Amino acid sequence: MPKSVRTITSAEDARICVVMVGLPARGKSFIAQKIIRFLSWISVNAKSFNVGQYRREAGALKPTPDFFDMDNDNYFVIRKQAENNAIKDILKWFSEEDGVVAVLDATNSTRERRAGICEILKANKIEPMFIESYSDDESFILRNINEVRKVSPDYSEQDPEMAIKNILLKLQKYEKNYETMTSELDGDLTFIKLVNGAQEAIINRIKTYSESRIAFYVMNLHLKPRCIYLSRHGESVYNVEQKIGGDSCLSERGLKYAQKLPELVTANAGDANLTVWTSTLKRTHETAQYLAYKKLQWKALDELDAGICDGMTYEEIEDKYPDDFKARDDDKYEYRYRGGESYRDVVIRLEPIIMELERQDNILIITHQAVLRCIYAYYMNVPQEESPWMSIPLHTLLKLEPRAYGTKITKIKANIPAVSTYKEKGTSQLGESVTASKASVRDIITSIAGDK
Amino acid sequence: METKELKTSPAPNVPLDNEELLNGLGSELMDRRFSEGNHMARTDSRWGKLNVPQSGSDKDDTSRSGTAGSVDSVHKPIKIEENVAPGQLYATDSGKLFHAGKILIVLVGLPATSKTALSVAITRYTRWLGVRAESFHISKYRKEMNYSGDDCYSAVPETKVGKEFRKSLLESVFNDMIVFFQKTKGQIAVYDALNIRKEDRTNIHIRFANLNIKVIFIESIVKDPELYELNLLNAAKASEFENFTKEQTQNILKRRLQLNKSFYQKMSKDEKLCYIKFIDFGKEIIVNNIKGGYLINKIVFFLMNLRNTNGKIYFSRCGTSEKDNYLNDEELNKEGIDFAHRMTDVIMERVSKNEQDPDNQEMARWKLNALTDSKPLHVFTAERKRTYDTGQFFAKKYNIPVYQRMELKQLREGSVADLSEEEKQNRYPTEYQEYLKDPYHYRFPRAESYHDLAIRMEPFLLELERISGDILIIAHESTLRVLYGYFMASSCQDLWKTNFSRDEITEITITPFQNQVRKIPI
Repeated sequence: MPKSVRTITSAEDARICVVMVGLPARGKSFIAQKIIRFLSWISVNAKSFNVGQYRREAGALKPTPDFFDMDNDNYFVIRKQAENNAIKDILKWFSEEDGVVAVLDATNSTRERRAGICEILKANKIEPMFIESYSDDESFILRNINEVRKVSPDYSEQDPEMAIKNILLKLQKYEKNYETMTSELDGDLTFIKLVNGAQEAIINRIKTYSESRIAFYVMNLHLKPRCIYLSRHGESVYNVEQKIGGDSCLSERGLKYAQKLPELVTANAGDANLTVWTSTLKRTHETAQYLAYKKLQWKALDELDAGICDGMTYEEIEDKYPDDFKARDDDKYEYRYRGGESYRDVVIRLEPIIMELERQDNILIITHQAVLRCIYAYYMNVPQEESPWMSIPLHTLLKLEPRAYGTKITKIKANIPAVSTYKEKGTSQLGESVTASKASVRDIITSIAGDK
Repeated sequence: METKELKTSPAPNVPLDNEELLNGLGSELMDRRFSEGNHMARTDSRWGKLNVPQSGSDKDDTSRSGTAGSVDSVHKPIKIEENVAPGQLYATDSGKLFHAGKILIVLVGLPATSKTALSVAITRYTRWLGVRAESFHISKYRKEMNYSGDDCYSAVPETKVGKEFRKSLLESVFNDMIVFFQKTKGQIAVYDALNIRKEDRTNIHIRFANLNIKVIFIESIVKDPELYELNLLNAAKASEFENFTKEQTQNILKRRLQLNKSFYQKMSKDEKLCYIKFIDFGKEIIVNNIKGGYLINKIVFFLMNLRNTNGKIYFSRCGTSEKDNYLNDEELNKEGIDFAHRMTDVIMERVSKNEQDPDNQEMARWKLNALTDSKPLHVFTAERKRTYDTGQFFAKKYNIPVYQRMELKQLREGSVADLSEEEKQNRYPTEYQEYLKDPYHYRFPRAESYHDLAIRMEPFLLELERISGDILIIAHESTLRVLYGYFMASSCQDLWKTNFSRDEITEITITPFQNQVRKIPI
C-alpha cells in the first residue's frame, strides 16, 4: 500500500481532547464515562482522566469543603498539581498510546483555566472540545448530589446527611468563581453547552465529523434510572446440531426457556413496563412468544452473518476452510467471514440501536451471541480483543443497570440445561474447558460487578 | 413521556399515530407469520404493506437515471404510493417515521441568509431517511402571483394592494402545506420565508399546533460580513435573476434587505417556541426547548455537518482486472492501469479549471472555511485493491492523499456472488421472483440489499456534506448508485437502475437550490 493511502479520512486525523466544564453534581463524570464507552465501542481509542482521582492520589483523600476554596493557598497547590498531572498524562497518552479522544473530567470552572488548557493542547496539536453541563434546576442538581454521595470515594464512609451537606458546601466554594461558557466570550472555542440535561444546547464551532458525532451522542443521553435486560434466544435446533447461523427453530429445551422467560422477567422487573426487542430471526421470535409486552423486531439485531460458513459446524469450517478458521481465531474482531460479517461490521450496524437504547426506558433485548457480546461490550466497556471471546451462556437473563459511574450487572440463570456454543481459541470443539487464566478473560460476568 | 402513552395505547397492530410514537427507530411490530423459504428476506414484513410500483412502470425513468444534464428530484413532490426512500429503515401505514409525528419547520431570517439552501438540504436529507418532506418556498409562490410592487418583498407592506397581496400569498402557501400534511401523508414541511416578526411566528405556531403539527423554527443568522457577501453571490444565482446583470441583482437583493431590516425581531426564549438558531452557516447552533425527539436530534446532527460548500463531486468506477469477480480481490490489469492514468489526468484538469472559477475563489477566501475540511481535491476509494489502485496516481503523480473508506465497500452479494442473472434465476428460482418485486430492498441469502448499503454509508454521506472543494469517489457501481441517489434525490425504485459505465466519469455540481449532473467521457 503506498504511504499516502490512509485508511481514515482526513477529518479524523485530528486528535480531540474533550474538556468537561461544570460545577460539581452536574453529571460531568456520567457524560465523560458515556463518551468513552461509546467511542471505545466504535473503535476510537478514547480515555477519561478524572482530576478528582489525581487529587486523591496527591494526598487529599477525603477533603473538607474548605479544600475547594479558591482562596485557600495550601490546598490550591495540591489542586493545581492534580490538574497538571492529569494534563501531563493526557499528553503522554496521546503521544505514546496513539490516543484519539481524551476526556479531561474536572470542573474547569474559570475562563483563565480553560484558556490555559487550550494553550497546552493546541501547542501539542490536540483539538480542544469543551462540553459544559450547566444547570439551574434544583431537582436536577439534587438528584446528582445524591448520586455523587453514593459513588464518589470522597464521601464513601460519611454519614449520608453529612456528605450531602459537604457536597453543598463544596458547591458554594466553586460557585463563587464559576464562569459559564457563552458564545460572546468563548465564540472561538469548539464547545457544547448542555443546559439542564439537554433542554437547551448550544453547539459552537463543530469542526469535524467526529465532533458532531460526540455532540449528537450526548444530546441523546438521559439520566433517568432504568434497566436493560439481555438474553440470547433459547437453545435452537442448530445449536444442538453444533451448526452456526441459519434460521432454525427452538429445540425442546429452548422452548422451555421461552416458557420460563416471563416468570424470570417478572421476578426481576416486577410490574415495570418493558418493551421487547428481537431480531428478525425465528429463534428470537419463538423465545419472545410468551412475553406479554409490546414486541418489536429489528433487522439490526440479527446474528453475525457467517457468509459461506452459514449452516456449517466449526469442524466442517476447519476442514473446508482451514486458513479462514485460523484467521478468525487470530483476530476474531476483524475477521470477516467470506461473504459475511466481522464483529466490527456488527458494531457499525448496531450504532442506531445504541442511540435508541440511550433514549428509551426499560428494554428487554432477545438476540444472538455475537450481537449480545457487542451490546454487552458497550455497557461494560469490554475491549475489542476480549469481547468476541466472552462467554454468554444460553438460558440466562442479564440485567444491566446503567449508573453514573458504571453499569451494575446481574446474571439470572433459568436452570434449564442447554448445550454450550462457546468455542475456545485454537479448537473446533465446543464447550468451556475451565483453564483458570482464560476463564478470567472471557467470563467477565460475575453475579454483580461494576465496570469501574 | 412515552411510557404514559404505552399504558393507554390500544391493541398492537393498530396503526395509530400514538402507536407509532412507540416504535423505535427502524423497528417494527413483531410479526408472527414466519416466512418459509428464503430465511434472510425481509421485503415481506417490512415493506410488504406498501404498494411499491413495479420497476419500469415509471414514465419519468430516464430523467432520473442519470442522463447527462439532468437536475435532481429534491423539488419533485413524492407520490402518495411511493413512500420508500433510499435510507429509510422501516415503513408504516401512516407514512410517518421515527416516532416523531408531523413537523413544520419554519425558517426565520433576513434575505440572503441561506434559508433556501438550508430548506433544500434538510428536505434532501430527511427524504433520504424516508421522511415525506417537502420545501415550500415563498419565492416560488410570489413569482406565480403576478404582483411586482416594490413592497411585495416586505414583511409589512405599505400599500393597500401590497397588503392584499401578502395576505393571499401566505394563504396559498399555508393551504398547500395543510393539504400536504392532511391529504398527502406529509410528515415534514419546510416553510422557506422571512418570518422575521414575532407576530408572524406566533400566528404560524397557533395555526399548525392546532392541527396537531409540531412547529420548530430554524433561524438563520449571518453575523460575519464576508459570509453575507458570499450569500449575496449565491442568492444571485437563483432563477428569478436570470435576466439581470450582476449589479442589478445585487441592488435588488440589497433593497429587499433594506425593506425588512427594521422589522426583524430575533427569536428569544420569551416567545416560548421551539427553535434552533443556525448562526453563520453552522458556526454556532443553539437548540432550545426541543425535547429530544430522535428525528429532530438527527436534523441537528445533520446541521452540525452541513457546510456552505459549492464544489463538484466526481464518481468513477474502478479500472478493470483480469476476472473482475466479486469474491476475489484482484489487482488491476494493464487496461485498468491505463484507465487509472487517464482518469487521473481528466479529473486534475477539471479540478484546476474549477479552481479558476471566480465564485470558488470567493468561497476560498471566506474565513469560516476553517470549519470545513478544505482542499482543492479529496480522493476516496473503497478498500479493495482495484479501487485504490485506480486512485493511486493521485498520490504518486500529484501528491494528493488517497483515503480508503470502509463505508465504500460494494454491495455484499452473498450466495449470488459472481452469478449471472441467468444463473441466479436457475439456482434460486423462488428468491429470484421475490427479488424482481423489489430489487432495492431484496436481499439474497446472506447478501446485502441496496438498502443495507445505504444505511451503512450514511456517516460517509455526512462527511461529504462538510467537505469544501472537489471530491472524487472511486468505487463499485452499487456504491456509486447509493451516493448518486442521495445527491440527486432518487427514489429507491430508480436508484438501483442508475448506470455508471467504465468509460466515463460522472460530475455532480452542488448548488444551494438543486444539484446537476453531467457525464464526462474518459
